[in-house]
Amino acid sequence: MSEELRVSPIETREAPGKRRFAMVVDTRRCIGCMACQVACKAEYDTPLGVNRTWVPYKVVGKYPNVKKQFLPRLCNHCDDPPCVRNCPVEATYKVEDGGFVLQRYERCIGCRSCMAACPYNARFMLPSHRTYTPITNVVDKCTFCFHRVTQNLVPACVQTCIGRSRVFGDLNDPNSEVSYLVATNATQVLRPEEGTKPHVFYIGADRNQTEFGRDAYRKPDVMELQRSAFKRHFDI
Amino acid sequence: MGDFVWFHDVSWHATYAIYFFIIGIVAGLTFLSFLSWHNEALRPIRASSAWGAFVLLAIGGLLLIADLSQPLRFFNILNPFYLNFGSPLAWGALNIVSFGIVLVVYLFMLRKGGGGGRWMAGIAALLALGLPIYTGFDLTVHQSRPVWNTPIIPVLFVAMAIASGSAAASLLAGSNAETRATLRQYLLWSTGAVGVMLVSILGTTHHGGSAQELTYLILTTGTMGLIFVGIGIVAGTAAPIALLLAPFGRQQLGVVLAGMLVLAGGAALRYALLMGPQQLQTLY
Amino acid sequence: MDFPKITRRTFLQVSAGTTAAVAVAPRLLHAMENELGGKDFSPENAAERKAIPVNCHVCNIQDGAIAYVENDRVVKLEGNPEHVSTRGRLCAKGNSGMWYSYDPDRILYPLKRVGARGEGKWKRITWDEALTEVAGKLDAALKEDPNTIMLKYGRNRTGGTLERFMKTLGSATVLNHTSVCESSKKVGQEPTWGPDIETPDFANAKYVLNFGSNILEAAYFHNPLSQRVTEGRVDNHMKIVTFDVRLSNTAGFSDEWIPVFPATDGAVALAIGHVILREDLQDSEFIDTWTNVTVDELKAHYAQYTPEWAAKISGVSVQTIERIAREFATTKPATLFTYRGPAKHLYGSYNEKACMMLPIMTGNVEKRGGYCLPRGMGWPQPMPQPSGPKQDSVLAHPPEYPLAAHKVSHLVPFWIAEGRQKINVAFTYQDNPVYTNPGAQAVWGKLYRDEKLIPYFISMSSHMGEETALADIILPDCPYLERWEPESMPNSLWPWLGIRQPVHKSLGESRENRVLLRDIIWKLDPDGSRGMKQFWEFKDGEDYMRHHFDNVPGLKEAGGLDFLKKHGVWPIYGTLDPRTGKVTDKTGREIQAEYGLYKKELSGADIEGAMVDAHGLITKNGKAIGIRRDGHDYVGFPTGNRLINVRVDEWAEYGFNPMPTFKRIPWHETMKDDEMILSTFKLNVHKQSRTAAVKWLAEIAHSNPAWMNPETAKKLGVKTGDLVRVESPVGYLVTKAYVTEGIHPKVISIATGFGHWEYGRLATLKLKDKPAFGGTEDPDLDNVWWDDRGVHPNAIIPVVADPIGGSQGWYDTVVKVSKAGPDDKYGDIHGDWDRHYAAYKETMRYAYTGDMHRKMHPEMASWAGPESVKPKASGGH
Ligand SMILES: Nc1nc2c(c(=O)[nH]1)N[C@H]1C(S)=C(S)[C@@H](COP(=O)(O)OP(=O)(O)OC[C@H]3O[C@@H](n4cnc5c(=O)[nH]c(N)nc54)[C@H](O)[C@@H]3O)O[C@H]1N2
Ligand SMILES: Nc1nc2c(c(=O)[nH]1)N[C@H]1C(S)=C(S)[C@@H](COP(=O)(O)OP(=O)(O)OC[C@H]3O[C@@H](n4cnc5c(=O)[nH]c(N)nc54)[C@H](O)[C@@H]3O)O[C@H]1N2
Ligand code: SF4
Ligand code: SF4
Ligand code: SF4
Ligand code: SF4
Ligand code: SF4
Ligand SMILES: [Mo]
Repeated sequence: MSEELRVSPIETREAPGKRRFAMVVDTRRCIGCMACQVACKAEYDTPLGVNRTWVPYKVVGKYPNVKKQFLPRLCNHCDDPPCVRNCPVEATYKVEDGGFVLQRYERCIGCRSCMAACPYNARFMLPSHRTYTPITNVVDKCTFCFHRVTQNLVPACVQTCIGRSRVFGDLNDPNSEVSYLVATNATQVLRPEEGTKPHVFYIGADRNQTEFGRDAYRKPDVMELQRSAFKRHFDI
Repeated sequence: MGDFVWFHDVSWHATYAIYFFIIGIVAGLTFLSFLSWHNEALRPIRASSAWGAFVLLAIGGLLLIADLSQPLRFFNILNPFYLNFGSPLAWGALNIVSFGIVLVVYLFMLRKGGGGGRWMAGIAALLALGLPIYTGFDLTVHQSRPVWNTPIIPVLFVAMAIASGSAAASLLAGSNAETRATLRQYLLWSTGAVGVMLVSILGTTHHGGSAQELTYLILTTGTMGLIFVGIGIVAGTAAPIALLLAPFGRQQLGVVLAGMLVLAGGAALRYALLMGPQQLQTLY
Repeated sequence: MDFPKITRRTFLQVSAGTTAAVAVAPRLLHAMENELGGKDFSPENAAERKAIPVNCHVCNIQDGAIAYVENDRVVKLEGNPEHVSTRGRLCAKGNSGMWYSYDPDRILYPLKRVGARGEGKWKRITWDEALTEVAGKLDAALKEDPNTIMLKYGRNRTGGTLERFMKTLGSATVLNHTSVCESSKKVGQEPTWGPDIETPDFANAKYVLNFGSNILEAAYFHNPLSQRVTEGRVDNHMKIVTFDVRLSNTAGFSDEWIPVFPATDGAVALAIGHVILREDLQDSEFIDTWTNVTVDELKAHYAQYTPEWAAKISGVSVQTIERIAREFATTKPATLFTYRGPAKHLYGSYNEKACMMLPIMTGNVEKRGGYCLPRGMGWPQPMPQPSGPKQDSVLAHPPEYPLAAHKVSHLVPFWIAEGRQKINVAFTYQDNPVYTNPGAQAVWGKLYRDEKLIPYFISMSSHMGEETALADIILPDCPYLERWEPESMPNSLWPWLGIRQPVHKSLGESRENRVLLRDIIWKLDPDGSRGMKQFWEFKDGEDYMRHHFDNVPGLKEAGGLDFLKKHGVWPIYGTLDPRTGKVTDKTGREIQAEYGLYKKELSGADIEGAMVDAHGLITKNGKAIGIRRDGHDYVGFPTGNRLINVRVDEWAEYGFNPMPTFKRIPWHETMKDDEMILSTFKLNVHKQSRTAAVKWLAEIAHSNPAWMNPETAKKLGVKTGDLVRVESPVGYLVTKAYVTEGIHPKVISIATGFGHWEYGRLATLKLKDKPAFGGTEDPDLDNVWWDDRGVHPNAIIPVVADPIGGSQGWYDTVVKVSKAGPDDKYGDIHGDWDRHYAAYKETMRYAYTGDMHRKMHPEMASWAGPESVKPKASGGH
């Protein structure tokens, strides 16, 4: 894509002189160990009830031909992020060099527009109690570990990923591991029809996971007991 | 349960629906107050509807602010350095604040009397028109949510604002027959328009892909179905139209009853239109 | 589990050097990739955090870790990138290990019981009061008989301190938890090839058979092996086939999940062996050279185990068995792995043996991509060392189970109740049989509550576990992040030594175990006149470590303990390549393991003065040191005859079948149509009884509904969330159903780790109370949103002991499952001591001294009976 053809000026993919970080999640390697989810919780003292990354699973097939599929999820650091477009006060914004979509906590008014705008449920409201971090009652989300990446470390979830399912790097550098993986494998992004240009690329993502199945309507009973407890506690 | 599951919850809760409802009435009442400068029949409710709008605006505004998790930062939204003109909420905030100011000036002028009120009413009505439109846009811009993302939503919200405004005004109108007749007309036409738009929304939603279809199912079955179809469409849209067309609908009690049904329907519709399309994604 | 130190020097000293690598496909230019850890910064102010290398001990896999400290608090844990096995990664549990330390309900000062046992009333006392009281009780017990002092531990990573303590006291009554863990796996393996575990080279394998190991969630060694499984599966295109009664994450990840009928893995493995031998796909040269049987003997023996026979028992079709046999035998390299699935049954040792025969007969042993011996390292003990106790303990070495090298501790309550050995003082350390053993509260709970049987009960624990809640006195131990401990685990193909070191001062008044034990001894023998103090002359934990590490050859030159304090592990084989996540050597190539350890040749110096017998066995000073084959002097396998013993003669002495065999569980054969088998399992995010108070893990998994197949659920008329009643011969429970396609229709499976009635407020969901033992409240607990803590099944699981390995048959219980009745409440659970006692009597009938033994072994008709066996001198522990 050439500079002139770029649809949205905000996009950094292939923008010369800029980095565009991305994550590749190779679902063939994901063992559903949840290490990523917990490492991220620790990194940010994320309170109970909310997550920057999570690993849903589905049991797929009929006995005895059954598989278990995991689909690690996090903010896609969309190149064209609707959350940023929707924030009235630019509390969420995109960092041009790197493509991170970040939060300015001190500015956020907590209107939840960005939450409503994100097609991926990647954002959440921080509850008023946390262990030791004073930031509460504002919207939070995955930062692509901005503070680590800018110190030349991979994100915490990538660092601990047992299956090495998560790989992180600069997609604008053709020699990076992520560029290599994206170039040499068929990749998927979630809900491409939303035009968000996600920068979390999946290898081998299972359609049972990426699409709304019928059970989306017949709310899976597996979840219902939990969901109602959750709603009761947070008084929703 | 099972081994472990993860799930999410809706972003915008019921408070938002109440706000939509109130702000719709505010807009409707403001139109009526403006129209009273052009239609003598509405003259009796000029002041009362403007005052009604003011009170409701105060309530709605407080509700909106209280619903923010950082209410004290409400002023950030007016900070020109922070303002994001891409966001309908930002426009909305400007809209609502300027509307509030104009409304206060208008009320002031009404008290003082004199000709300026007519012009102020015009400006207020224009800004009031913005209220349902911006709240509609609030939803429409969310491309990922079925129903919300139909461009007809702002138009629907305008029609619902007129309907709810007229309904509220019919309660203020007292026994003035002329006023009642005019309001009856407004109620009839605006509710009719709401009905037509709902049909088109349901039709396109049902016709859409799986996400739309699932949302259609969510909106039309179970508790949500009861609220949306039962209260919103049947009791709150079809029934008042039928009532208003019937001879009884020309009487004072008939119009008031229809107005109450429209109000109930308006509340239900806003709730369902806000919550229904958020359900599916909580499972994603 | 505690690995017996592999003391054979040859196996300890696998050289730390690495051989040249096969280069990976070249990619011309490399980007500057971000580093895979080793540093950490605060997300709030980007300040660098202090890094302290430690060794994870949330579970027992012993991954190398780094603790990052901010304001004197561990805020982050990460895998040690210098650790050859861990390679910088930790699992979900490892990542949340700081919550052992900061659990608001942690016990931070000594406590003395004031109410009745188990009533939950405590008084804070000083250390001096506590030690004086404990020393007094020990003194009295010592006067009567040192063996009346009992110590039962679960995890023991002290590196010999607990043993030193008991030896100092002169007591042999040391009990472990291995019989409820995996002991029959160990006993299936040890007499055969020496060590008690294998290290499958998953990264380089092309084919993997996995019998009942949940590698990707639990098993030894979850984290390091899972890394290699994904590598093998994706990068090396290996095929993995998993046998399990339910769809574990490992089964769900495998190319094939084969739902096998419980306890029948051995039959399937034997039939696979039958097909391999029938079709002549075995590695004859390996069998003839390296085992104690010939190919012909093996063929003759395996002829009986037809696929048709196995199919009937296991439900695995003949075609599947034949296909897998061919695939396994013809795809090279191939490996096999087992864990508790096959082993935790009445004849678990036979099952394990049958499984391990497959890589042996196909010659996949000690090959790249094959079935490898474990690699570990040892360290010297501080001198002087106490000598062993004068008299053995029947509880520790029950004569009915002479082959159970890892004890039969789960039967001990019955033996104590029967008065086989008197107990005056009992210690519990990192062990929670009241929760984790069969019978649980109905058996161990009853024992520990009984002041006649256990007159004085001391808990050395950091947490109010179900066992500690029954104590008379609690000595607050430190969680792993505040302890000094030596480590080594064969969790990859490279041996290593590591340490655990305190990340900060121990919280409150807690004292790490080795210091606490020292303090007890010092109290008993203040001036050294009783000869006890001499074994405990160390200043602190660090001083103790110096004794271990400052004289290990190689490490000593590198700096000894100081090196370990800085790096956490030794040796360091290379650096972690951010591009591949693998350890690379100086040339940038991936380090390669050494294979064929048994083929290491003895040096001239080794051979000098040695003798070679007719079988080629090389002995020196009465010790077997190697084996001569084709004119070469090899070290061989670490067994008595330096070979793989397919035929275990020692088993035959006790009337057990020395050859690979399978025994069907008698009560499974007579199961009725409406009966099912109750199975249990571990989840990836929990660690037995100890993580229920770790909030991040509890949030992910906090309840354990009973898995059942839709077919079963339909028959019972239940759906997910409905209550079911599960009735076993010893009790019943009421829990919720979870209907899933991922389970055998005859099995109902309930995860362990949930349904606590002690272990603090989070585990029991009593969050309205306040921290009671000196802990600091965590405001985040206000966000606990779940209201279900699950139901723990152990009270309804009867004891079963493998007559060979002594292992608990966890997965053998026949139960009746029904829809719950109107009076059944969620969480109802009832276990009955008398019925558990009857189950214990029943299982003893299978011991070699029991009446069922002969009936189960018609093929051993020529055995002369239990009276023919000469009692052996026990080898201590
Ligand atoms: N996350 C986590 N990891 C752990 C631990 C933990 O508590 N949590 N504990 C550690 C310890 S102490 C141990 S001993 C290991 C245990 O590790 P594993 O043995 O791998 O795990 P288990 O869940 O005990 O049992 C393994 C599997 O056996 C299956 N099974 C039951 N009966 C049968 C059968 O008859 N045949 C077959 N083929 N399968 C059967 C169960 O469904 C289960 O999936 O894990 C260690 N790692
Ligand atoms: N149903 C069922 N039961 C099982 C299993 C199963 O798969 N299913 N698995 C079995 C297996 S494999 C095993 S190994 C056993 C394990 O059984 P155990 O060894 O009995 O149990 P653990 O959960 O490891 O923890 C023991 C206790 O140690 C204490 N503790 C925790 N941390 C510390 C510490 O830092 N210091 C001290 N001093 N104490 C501490 C706590 O009180 C805890 O309750 O359970 C067995 N039980
Ligand atoms: S995933 Fe959601 S939160 Fe993240 S950038 Fe995209 S729209 Fe925004
Ligand atoms: S909640 Fe905060 S970040 Fe989100 S749109 Fe509102 S102000 Fe912006
Ligand atoms: S990139 Fe960082 S913030 Fe985002 S999910 Fe991973 S660990 Fe969490
Ligand atoms: S850490 Fe890696 S392997 Fe484990 S669940 Fe997360 S993405 Fe999957
Ligand atoms: S497997 Fe997990 S809990 Fe166990 S030692 Fe490794 S990181 Fe720690
Ligand atoms: Mo274990």
